[in-house]
Amino acid sequence: MYVQIRDLTFRYKNSDEDILKNLNLDIMQGEVISVLGQSGSGKSTLLRMIAGLEKPSKGTIIIDNKIMVDRDTFLFPEERGVGMVFQDYALFPHLNVEKNIRYGLHSFSKKEQSKRLQEVLELVNLTEFAKRYPHELSGGQQQRVALARALAPKPSVLLLDEPFSNLDADLKGRIRIELGRIIRQSGITSIFVTHDQEDSRAIADRVVFLESQNHKSPLIKSL
Amino acid sequence: MRFIKVNLRFLNVWSIFSFLFVLGIIFSNLLVFTSLFQAPSENWEHIKEYLLADYIKNTLLLITFTGTFTFLIGTSLAWLISFYDFPLRNFYKLAFILPLAIPTYIGAYTYTGLLNYTGIVQSSLRNYLNYQVNPKLFDIMNIGGAVFIFTLFLLPYVYTIVSSFFQNQSSSLIETARLLGRKPLNILLTILLPLARPAIIGGVSLVVLEVLNDYGVVKYFGITTFSTAIFKSWFGMGDIDSAIRLAASLLIIVFFILTLEKMVRGRKRFDSSTSKLRPITLQKLSGYKALLAFTYSFLIFSLSFLIPILQLLYWSLITYNNVLNNKFWQLLVNSISVALVATCTIVFASVIVANFQRISGTKLSKAYAKITTFGYSIPGAVIAIGVMVLFISLDRKLFWFYNIVNPESAELVLSMSLAMLIFAYVIRFLAIGFNSVQTGFEKIGKKFFEASRTLGMTTTKTFFKIDLPMLKPALVGGFVLAFVDVLKELPLTLILRPFNFDTLATKVYQYASDEMIPEAGVPSLIIIVVSLISIFLLNKMIMKEEG
Ligand SMILES: Nc1ncnc2c1ncn2[C@@H]1O[C@H](COP(=O)(O)OP(=O)(O)OP(=O)(O)O)[C@@H](O)[C@H]1O
Ligand SMILES: [Mg+2]
Repeated sequence: MYVQIRDLTFRYKNSDEDILKNLNLDIMQGEVISVLGQSGSGKSTLLRMIAGLEKPSKGTIIIDNKIMVDRDTFLFPEERGVGMVFQDYALFPHLNVEKNIRYGLHSFSKKEQSKRLQEVLELVNLTEFAKRYPHELSGGQQQRVALARALAPKPSVLLLDEPFSNLDADLKGRIRIELGRIIRQSGITSIFVTHDQEDSRAIADRVVFLESQNHKSPLIKSL
Repeated sequence: MRFIKVNLRFLNVWSIFSFLFVLGIIFSNLLVFTSLFQAPSENWEHIKEYLLADYIKNTLLLITFTGTFTFLIGTSLAWLISFYDFPLRNFYKLAFILPLAIPTYIGAYTYTGLLNYTGIVQSSLRNYLNYQVNPKLFDIMNIGGAVFIFTLFLLPYVYTIVSSFFQNQSSSLIETARLLGRKPLNILLTILLPLARPAIIGGVSLVVLEVLNDYGVVKYFGITTFSTAIFKSWFGMGDIDSAIRLAASLLIIVFFILTLEKMVRGRKRFDSSTSKLRPITLQKLSGYKALLAFTYSFLIFSLSFLIPILQLLYWSLITYNNVLNNKFWQLLVNSISVALVATCTIVFASVIVANFQRISGTKLSKAYAKITTFGYSIPGAVIAIGVMVLFISLDRKLFWFYNIVNPESAELVLSMSLAMLIFAYVIRFLAIGFNSVQTGFEKIGKKFFEASRTLGMTTTKTFFKIDLPMLKPALVGGFVLAFVDVLKELPLTLILRPFNFDTLATKVYQYASDEMIPEAGVPSLIIIVVSLISIFLLNKMIMKEEG
């Protein structure tokens, strides 16, 4: 399996309730997974643990045969090679589109950088917008920049936290298709979080339900 | 129809008052410039030829180095506190604000006493380690020493502004940068510093203005700057004309700095306003990194607060018997009553100008607001000169009236009275009260005002029944801040106080000048304690507002 998550458990320091408990999940290379669940069920927390932004209290995450975290290992986010698109996109406001994308390409040579930049700009259809600043872009465009920026360094896995929550309803349909195309085209293993079943069905190969820990029910159901 | 009439009449009362306050500020500053058009005195030629270059050089050295060091230290502390968790972090978070309670001149006297031949450092080295040090090594009465003092005690300006900026950032920015493979120090340089630029420049500008305002430190250290030159021309040589010219030159430097600040700060505006904020999660430091952060913080805290306070406490203990006499109580009463009168006037004027601005919202009222805040940028010595000139000419104009009241009246009445000093305080510190009140009004918004008006209340009634009670926290905040600033003010007080009128601040200055630094301990501590109390009060109020 490309991504293996075993017995993943998490609780916040100041609380005595497990947000996630003994979660197991396997993902094949190139598969697109959607995680569905109610608000507060721990979807964002799951993504943040895969990214290395939170430390699980127990469990193992292995990506591409590399241990991200287990009992004795913890790789920092900057060492994981995982891409993530945040709910608020988190574009650096003082850098233009090009510089935002180049930001993650620091280990590439100058020539490779430019090549990769062009590739991802074309992928998200924003070639003419390279010199614009984030505040000069629409919400949908900002999202595509965030996507391009996350994809540029060729991460092993792409994580997307509620990619549609900041968009207007009438835009959503179009962008959903567009996002699906981009992900398919880049062939990247992806996990995206949503609480809208339609989103899941439209894009994902497989849908995973995350249920709130408060009801003592099975954690994950596959569709 | 009636509604409009009432409104207009009322606006006029507010506007007249606002106009008067603003006029005071403009007048006292414009007067400084008028003399530039008169023929200069001989003395001025001398100053221009031999001394002016020195004043400019010293002033530039002081502001450049102090600005640089407060930037480096203040920003690094803000960064550590905002993003990392290390031993005593929560304590340091507040502790770095505390040096604000120590006026720079008190810091200067304390360190001088601490480091001079009889001070604790040199005598310990002599007595316990039998080590004769080169006294030059501990001589801080020079430009380097002044930079050291300014940096330590003005640090909080940069620290507080920058850390509150950092803490308002969405954590996803930093998390993204990490996921894109960047290390913390790299993120600081590529993301955080560029974003924080306006905050940093704002903080450093405040520091620079404080340095320009200073008289107590540079005078004591024997560094000639504009402030000391203004004093010397006026008191030493009775050369009012040169004093005014120097004040005008200093004012030009201030204008230059204010313009520069606008230019570098305002070019790019990023609004990441739609970002959903996720509060910053602190990253726990461990091992040598935690130790390093802790040690650095401890060093700064010790130098900027702990050591001077301990020294002052020690001096107070050995001198309080001599210092606390009847004269001292008079001093205390003087300080507090002058500060109270000035502060009440400030709050009163702030409310009037701010309310006028809010209700009318015209360009004129906005200009008033700008001018009101301008006073705070002007060095005390300049305001002192302007106010002095203004009051003397007022006295000349009113002499006929004094004669009617009392045929034996002297010519100078107002300019010999406390009114002049209080007026100067109001001009210098109006901005402090005004900012608080304005923020208060902004928080309340206009909806309660409008609701009350639609319920049939006049503006005045609305003001007293609705606005004023809701404004109370802002008023208290403005009052406390302004009170403390007046209490520790030195240059204005020295120039404008009536003969034989002393305050805590001038007494501290006098003790230090008379080589009686330990005796300055008690009055210094009183100023510091009052400031500390006000910091805690304000902090509590802010915490309460944030819930
Ligand atoms: N810093 C924290 N301390 C304690 N509990 C927290 C903290 N942050 C989040 N939680 C709790 O953890 C749980 C999971 O949060 P998470 O953000 O992962 O939910 P989510 O499924 O992403 O919800 P949403 O759909 O609203 O984004 C929630 O019940 C939340 O209250
Ligand atoms: Mg979430």
